[in-house]
Amino acid sequence: MIRLHNVSKTYFKSPVKAVDDLSLEVKPGEIFGFLGPNGAGKSTTIKIITGILTPDSGTVEINGVNLADDPIAAKSLVGYVPDNHEMYDALKGIEYLQFVGTMYGVRAADLKRKIDEYAALFELTDAIPDMIGSYSHGMKQKLSVIAALVHDPKVWILDEPLTGLDPQSAYQLKTLMRKQAEAGNTVFFSSHVIDVVEKVCDRIGIINHGKLVAVDTLDNIRADGKVSLESLFLTITSKNERQDAPDDASDDGEGK
Amino acid sequence: MKYLALVKLLFVQQYKVRSAVATRSGKKRLGSAALYLVLGVCFVPLFVAVAVAMYYMGKVSDGNVYVATFLTLICQSLVLMFGVHAVISNVFVVRDADRLLYLPIRSHVIFLAKLTVAYLNEVITTAVTAIVVLLPFGIGAGAGVAYYLMLLAALVLLPMLPMLAGTFVAMPISALVTLFGKNSAVKTILRIVLYVAIMALYMYAMYSFGFLTGSSGGNNFLDDPEKYIADTIGDFALNLQNVMPYFHSDYMLMQSMLATNFAQWAAGFACALAENAALLGLVFAVSLPFYRKMLASSVEGSGARGKNKNGGYVVKQRGTVREFMLTDLKRTVRDAQIGFQSFAGIIMTPVIVVILYFLMGTADSGETSFLELMQISPLYQMIAPLIILVYMTFLGCSTNVLGLYPISRENKSAFILKSLPVPFSKILLSKVLLATAVMVLSDFVTCILIVALFGVKWYIGIVMLAVMILVGFGAMCLTTLLDLKNPRFGWDNFNQGLKNAKNSWIAMLIALLAGVALTVCSVPFVVVFAILDSVYLTIAMWAVDLGVSAAFAAVSYKIMTGKAAKYFERIEV
Ligand SMILES: Nc1ncnc2c1ncn2[C@@H]1O[C@H](COP(=O)(O)OP(=O)(O)OP(=O)(O)O)[C@@H](O)[C@H]1O
Ligand SMILES: [Mg+2]
Repeated sequence: MIRLHNVSKTYFKSPVKAVDDLSLEVKPGEIFGFLGPNGAGKSTTIKIITGILTPDSGTVEINGVNLADDPIAAKSLVGYVPDNHEMYDALKGIEYLQFVGTMYGVRAADLKRKIDEYAALFELTDAIPDMIGSYSHGMKQKLSVIAALVHDPKVWILDEPLTGLDPQSAYQLKTLMRKQAEAGNTVFFSSHVIDVVEKVCDRIGIINHGKLVAVDTLDNIRADGKVSLESLFLTITSKNERQDAPDDASDDGEGK
Repeated sequence: MKYLALVKLLFVQQYKVRSAVATRSGKKRLGSAALYLVLGVCFVPLFVAVAVAMYYMGKVSDGNVYVATFLTLICQSLVLMFGVHAVISNVFVVRDADRLLYLPIRSHVIFLAKLTVAYLNEVITTAVTAIVVLLPFGIGAGAGVAYYLMLLAALVLLPMLPMLAGTFVAMPISALVTLFGKNSAVKTILRIVLYVAIMALYMYAMYSFGFLTGSSGGNNFLDDPEKYIADTIGDFALNLQNVMPYFHSDYMLMQSMLATNFAQWAAGFACALAENAALLGLVFAVSLPFYRKMLASSVEGSGARGKNKNGGYVVKQRGTVREFMLTDLKRTVRDAQIGFQSFAGIIMTPVIVVILYFLMGTADSGETSFLELMQISPLYQMIAPLIILVYMTFLGCSTNVLGLYPISRENKSAFILKSLPVPFSKILLSKVLLATAVMVLSDFVTCILIVALFGVKWYIGIVMLAVMILVGFGAMCLTTLLDLKNPRFGWDNFNQGLKNAKNSWIAMLIALLAGVALTVCSVPFVVVFAILDSVYLTIAMWAVDLGVSAAFAAVSYKIMTGKAAKYFERIEV
């Protein structure tokens, strides 16, 4: 379970609120899709949930553990797949997994079993003894996914996990997300690919200019018959754009 | 023009690193100003001393062209020492290849732009050395206006020779490293050893030109100091006469700078220009093919892929701190730039001890050496270790790169640290332990050499080691905290982006202040020792020094652990 309560964040060097008074609850057993245009604040929200950024105000709870009060316990519950691939290039894949596993306190035998299982699933077994620096984009992505799963996280958070994956791996990843949810865990992921979101998610949230502008179950949206998720997304985000148009304070440049 | 745009981009880019925390600009500027002021107060006396020496050099030698050439060579050797990294890291370590290669620019233009950036950096260093060395020399020699005008031309021309030497040093190192180092850790070690070996060789050559040949000419310093100095410099110039013309471009430049008539000036200048142009051509012709090769291999990656087809993998059970240190060590050693910077210190400080020994210890034929003469004095065991200690602490602190940039080193992957469910105190502990281990290793070797070469008593050596480690540890805690307070991410070039940035200066400053403090604490004992000659004074002095450095280490550690976690939390990645 993830619970955000009135979370706001402004980067030091930026005049805009990257996340603006955002409240949200994602239940166990749920796959939550997080949508929004570039620079809307998806990655920022995710970094706040994973404890990478400290919010200016508001609280974050992971499975009832307050992130600010007990960051170590809260972080142990989370598995995080980042959107960038700045990993430890000078390490071998296995060394990175060993590192992450040890940091999350996974016992060696369990770690080995997990690595074997997931590496086989993503066809990475051969590459794991190699340097990460020699990996392709997709291979790094898969390694991140494996690294985020070795400790059996209760909450799995993925930032644009499907970019760069081949169809097989994307399928495996989607299946894994479903499996995690069925096991009662929480899955939270951001994406630009509306088709995927539509297929995989139970519930979606749309963020624009740091504000959560819509949250609903896909069933409700589908029940509405006429509007597709795509047109919903487009109308919501562009409507917002028009409101903000006069002061036009935000640039939608990528933060990275 | 593409070339100019590229030069500008690369030049600006090398200093551009992202600050990851908020700093109120007013406060920051005040802090920087204070830093530079203190730095100035500390280093200006050194510069002034050198400048005054150069002034006399010019005066006594009456603007001797061989002496002047020798001095330019000294300047150039300094430029080389500090600049050869820049050449290697700017030109041959091609980290930005994937961002440059797709541009519609020919690779030789990129190469030329990179070479230009390296050159510009060296012009800056040359300017500094010229102000301290050549300017006062000219004043001392009573040179005319032309000399000072020519000094500007010299700034442009002088970096050529170090550039050439730098590329010649960089290329075999890079080539040998690629040839023999399959493993990236081995590569780093190889690179360090080769670099130090070449530098030592070079220093030795310079030294043998200058000093080995000097003889005092039968005069005694104490009888007539001025005559003694004049004679020595005269002899020195005479000796240089045989060697300096081999450095023809410098020799010609100096001849034109010190020219007394137009013809002499024109001939010298024309010659210097032509020769330096030829040097530039040579640099370019020799290193372009090499650059292309490095470029190709950098895009292809480390080549490790697919090598381990047969091997499986093992997972080990380790403690958090141990695993963290191991991972950090692997990442550092395997990174070409950081590895080199971090571990070169281990060899560098001991090598400097050896060089010092040669400088002081070599006897003129038949006579006892300066060092041996000094060792006879009972004060030697009191003063020498102290001076060496202060100097070595200074070196040790500023070469301990692992302790200077523990967080900035993480660069773009710093977010990983922040997402881990590990208390920051453990991460900090691992980083401090790793940096300390490297420092202890370096200090240990240094102290063994000091005991062996300088005849310092072994038990004093042990105390020195303890003091060095304690001071080094204290300084490292402070620089670690500093790096945490304002880490820099997003750099491509560790050398330019970080190594030469503020922290290194601050480390030197801290070490310098620590050295001053140690000296202040010790001098009273030395003075009393000179009168009383009691072994208890030696013991008391080292006890005080040990106590002071231990207190410094403890206080710094306390300050660091008190604030580190808070600073870490503020970092935005
Ligand atoms: N490190 C940073 N420093 C300053 N501002 C940042 C930083 N990272 C992001 N921002 C700003 O915060 C806002 C939200 O960025 P964020 O990365 O969360 O967007 P996003 O929704 O993930 O976009 P995308 O879909 O492109 O990944 C943007 O306005 C961006 O400019
Ligand atoms: Mg994003």
